[in-house]
Amino acid sequence: MPTKLLLIDDEQTSTSLLALSLKSDGYEVLTADNGRQGLEIFDREGPDIVITDIRMPGMDGIEVLQKIKERPHYAEVIIVTGHGDIDNAIDSLKYGASDFINKPVRADTLSVALKRAQNKLDIQRKLDDYTKNLEQEVETVTHELRMQSKFMEKLIKTSEEGIVATDRIFTVVIYNPAAEHILGYPAEEVLYRKKAKDLFSLDLMRQYQAKRHDDQRRKKLEHFETHVRNRDGEMVPVRFTGVFLYEKGRIMGSVAFLQDLTEIKRLEKEVLMSERLATVGQTVAGMAHGVKNILHGFKGGSYLMEVGFKNNDTEKLKSGWQMIQKNIAHTSDLVMDLLTYSKDRDVAYVPCDPNDIAAEVCEAFADSASEHNIRVRATLDPAIGSVAMDKTSIHTVLMNLVSNAIDACIFDDVPGKSYAVTVNTHLKKDHVIRFEVADNGTGMDKKVQDKMFTSFFSTKGHKGTGLGLLVTRKLIEDHGGSIAVFSEAGKGTTFIIELPFEELIKEAHT
Amino acid sequence: MGKKVLVVDDDPDVRLFSQAVLEENGFTPVMAKNGEEGEEMIRKDPPELIILDVLMPRESGIRLYRNIKTNKKFKNIPIVILSGIAEKSFLRSQKVLTEFGGDPVPDPEAYLEKPVDGEELADTIKKILG
Repeated sequence: MPTKLLLIDDEQTSTSLLALSLKSDGYEVLTADNGRQGLEIFDREGPDIVITDIRMPGMDGIEVLQKIKERPHYAEVIIVTGHGDIDNAIDSLKYGASDFINKPVRADTLSVALKRAQNKLDIQRKLDDYTKNLEQEVETVTHELRMQSKFMEKLIKTSEEGIVATDRIFTVVIYNPAAEHILGYPAEEVLYRKKAKDLFSLDLMRQYQAKRHDDQRRKKLEHFETHVRNRDGEMVPVRFTGVFLYEKGRIMGSVAFLQDLTEIKRLEKEVLMSERLATVGQTVAGMAHGVKNILHGFKGGSYLMEVGFKNNDTEKLKSGWQMIQKNIAHTSDLVMDLLTYSKDRDVAYVPCDPNDIAAEVCEAFADSASEHNIRVRATLDPAIGSVAMDKTSIHTVLMNLVSNAIDACIFDDVPGKSYAVTVNTHLKKDHVIRFEVADNGTGMDKKVQDKMFTSFFSTKGHKGTGLGLLVTRKLIEDHGGSIAVFSEAGKGTTFIIELPFEELIKEAHT
Repeated sequence: MGKKVLVVDDDPDVRLFSQAVLEENGFTPVMAKNGEEGEEMIRKDPPELIILDVLMPRESGIRLYRNIKTNKKFKNIPIVILSGIAEKSFLRSQKVLTEFGGDPVPDPEAYLEKPVDGEELADTIKKILG
């Protein structure tokens, strides 16, 4: 495409001559004989270069130049000046003319000026293109960024996991609907208003912060199961993951992911409950045998008493009455065991001294055990003081195990052997107390050990409910503890129980 | 002296009950607290009747029952089973033991499932011993 020129001059003769010469040089040439017409053509044709005389009636060349420079279409302007018009010429440069040439216009001067203008034009065009590209690129990148941020926003919003992110001073800046659901606070109450510590317990924050140092290496916390308190004060079970975000070694914020475990916990509980009910159901068959024996005992007791009354035999009356009493106790054991095992019971932490409980249990059995020449003694760790634990559970557990241990000694019954049952307490690290109940009685072989935690399995014949160890284990597990057993047939058995405790909260005296 | 009846049961209360029933009805009771002891007493001085429990530590009633019923000398001693185990279960156990290469044994003269009244026990024994 040839370069389009516009010549503006009131002197038509010089214009047409110049036009002829320029056309022969390959330019497309437009002409106007005054400023106004020149601008009209400019607007219509959009020439690349304008050559205008400076002195014209009406609109002069400077004005034409100014008007053209205000237009959106870019063109180079060459000003043609008369002799001694140097001031005007300099003004024209100020207003953005690319060059000025003197009259009369000489072909070689004009060609140089045109070439210069053409160069400027090319540079300007390139600059324009570049700017346009840049603008386009910025727009594309901006769009992408916006899409990405939208994507992230959607991701966070629709996440099943609660996400709570904070800035470097732990003010919450991201708080998604799942977090809203778990914690109960609406987003508008939390965003930029609450700090992490307002949402998470001190304990959790401590764990969060304790790991902070490590995080600089790992930058990640492992998830752990814990509870968070929601707006209504309820404890919600969650799987918690906390991450500190660093940039160039400086903390820039933190993010916590919370997975609501309420439903999972409920299902777990349901499964546990149904398993327990199934065990109870299964055992009804096994229980029948125990119940039959108890009923037979009652019949026996009442028969003896009848005979005693009839014959005025106090000995018979006494043994009949004892038989009835024994079976009442047996019935009550069985029913209580069944209740304990099948019922869901909350662990009740109360202030107590585990050593006292152990001593009490030993004391309770001492007399009956000594009738069989069995010594019952407690070895207590003096480091254990008053703590918060479920006293009733511990009592029941120790009663069950000590009574088992004594039975194991009675059942062994090797003449001349001296039998002992010991209860040891031991304070372990991490708020755990270990109880050991050991006997040197009959012991258990592998077969018995495999079956001892199953329902209605009893080695005690008429004496056991077949539920004792099952109940014992349930109480221990409910208390968050563990039970282990070491036994050898003919040597004896040791039960080891580990139970967590909590410190007593010292109340301030006022 | 009434006819001698052996009671084999690991539960002292059950023995006491049976003993009282037997004494009240003019029999002479003797006691064994497990299968081993019972067998020994039978061999030493056979009783007129045996009241036998099934589930006992140290030689169960199932074994003792077979030993007596397959012994030429003792197989005619009537046995009354007194147990919390259902009669069906006891008979099945004997059938299984026979299948595993034992001699067939006759059913017990009477089978009483606990709980049993004193009168019922007495009537059963009287009926067998005439």
